[in-house]
Amino acid sequence: MKVSSQRIENSQVVLRVEAEPEEVEHSLEEAYRHLVKRIDVAGFRRGKAPRMMLERYLGKEALREEALEHLVPELLSRALEQEGIDAIAQPQIEIVESDPGVVFQATLPVRPTVELGNYREISVAPEPVEVAEEEVEKALEQIRYEHAPWQPAERPIQFGDLVTIDIKVTQSDNTVLERKDLQYQVLSEFPFPVPGFAERLEGVEKGQQKEFSISFPPDHERRELAGKEYLFTVTASEVKEKKLPELDDEFAKSLGQGFDDLESLRQRVASNLRAMAEERARKRLEETVVEALVERSKVEFPPILVEREIDLLVKEGEKSVEGHLRSRGRSEEELREELRPQATKRLIRSLVLGKVAEEEKIEVTAAEVDEEVEALAQGAGERGEELRRVFRSEEARQSLEDLLLTRKTVRRLVEIASAGETK
Amino acid sequence: MHVLEVLRRPIITEKSTALQEQGKYTFEVARDANKQQIKQAVEQAFKVEVAKVNVIAVPPKWRGPGRRRGKTSPSRKAIVTLKPGHKIEFFEGV
Repeated sequence: MKVSSQRIENSQVVLRVEAEPEEVEHSLEEAYRHLVKRIDVAGFRRGKAPRMMLERYLGKEALREEALEHLVPELLSRALEQEGIDAIAQPQIEIVESDPGVVFQATLPVRPTVELGNYREISVAPEPVEVAEEEVEKALEQIRYEHAPWQPAERPIQFGDLVTIDIKVTQSDNTVLERKDLQYQVLSEFPFPVPGFAERLEGVEKGQQKEFSISFPPDHERRELAGKEYLFTVTASEVKEKKLPELDDEFAKSLGQGFDDLESLRQRVASNLRAMAEERARKRLEETVVEALVERSKVEFPPILVEREIDLLVKEGEKSVEGHLRSRGRSEEELREELRPQATKRLIRSLVLGKVAEEEKIEVTAAEVDEEVEALAQGAGERGEELRRVFRSEEARQSLEDLLLTRKTVRRLVEIASAGETK
Repeated sequence: MHVLEVLRRPIITEKSTALQEQGKYTFEVARDANKQQIKQAVEQAFKVEVAKVNVIAVPPKWRGPGRRRGKTSPSRKAIVTLKPGHKIEFFEGV
């Protein structure tokens, strides 16, 4: 066996392996011995046919193919050992020559290399978090609206009202749809059932009947309706409006969450908003730090890793609504292509963070994983037990551990970056 | 009878292959060929010298059940022993 190796771009190594004639012959002999046991040649008991007969029967190429199937991986693994190469995924093998000599080339993805930038140089200041008074008021207003009961109103329909209507839809004397006592909330620019429908209802009085025609827009989701004009006959039988409760101590108590007066509700809302804003600020800060580090670092990785990352994204996408929306009407390839930049970014990030974890000797102990599982289980309430069971599997624990490691690493980075201010 | 009509085909089986080591080659031959004709045919066709020829009549055999039942064609086998140092390659190459 003659081996030559060459490192090429993107953390890959090309190995050129040339088999010695004896190795080829040996392997052919092996292949014959292997095949002869399975193949019936007329005139011979199974396993007794001479090699020449078998070659005539199967064809020389078939025997050689069988031989290569064993020879190539064997030579490859020996070559890898000899060259001290640590491949991280299946190589791409190209047979350069197979008869009479055997020469092949293998392109092997090897461990990515990460050259970290000096992360101690990164320095960021956490942005101050403020919650404006208006935001609190807005949130309160929202709560008030959500808890407002519907009350009958004696006036023409306005936006925001909940109405009970009888509706009849016709097209040139054919009744397409007829419904009684339909509850409908009149919202401006609401696209259901037809864009413009809600607008026509505005101003209709209780008990009044109104007729109007609306065309479905040509690009309407339901093909059979798109672009067609229908006559709507609508009778409003009831109009209800939101009766906003007074924003006072009484209201705070009525929420039934242990608020004694309006002030305590207000404070809770403010602190919630603050916590959310802080969380957002923290995320942004982390993002900035990681981005800065990625920018300073040089990462090289084999393309196969990106493909794997895309696989992951696709799988995750299948589970989420967003993913479904995105994949709708796209071929697998298009979707993959679209996910590629995102996957590349994620991969680089995780490689860089992994390197930092290594440098900083950040580790996650089994106890920490247990703690996290417990925290998750507590948070999940009734389904907590189920969660605990899920996290008993090695795989789930591993992924949780990875997650924790990333989290810790990012935290450490932020710490360093924030402390860097003083240096 | 013409020389080329004598030899029908080589018989290649486990048994015949084993015999080849002793310089004995097996053929299916024309039923009415005699040992002399077989000897000449082999000598001409393979350019070798023949030491002796043994012939065996292969009788027809009953094959198949019921209505499909019939007999296989009868034939004649010849085991040709070559003089030492002579060899026949049934297959090209290798």
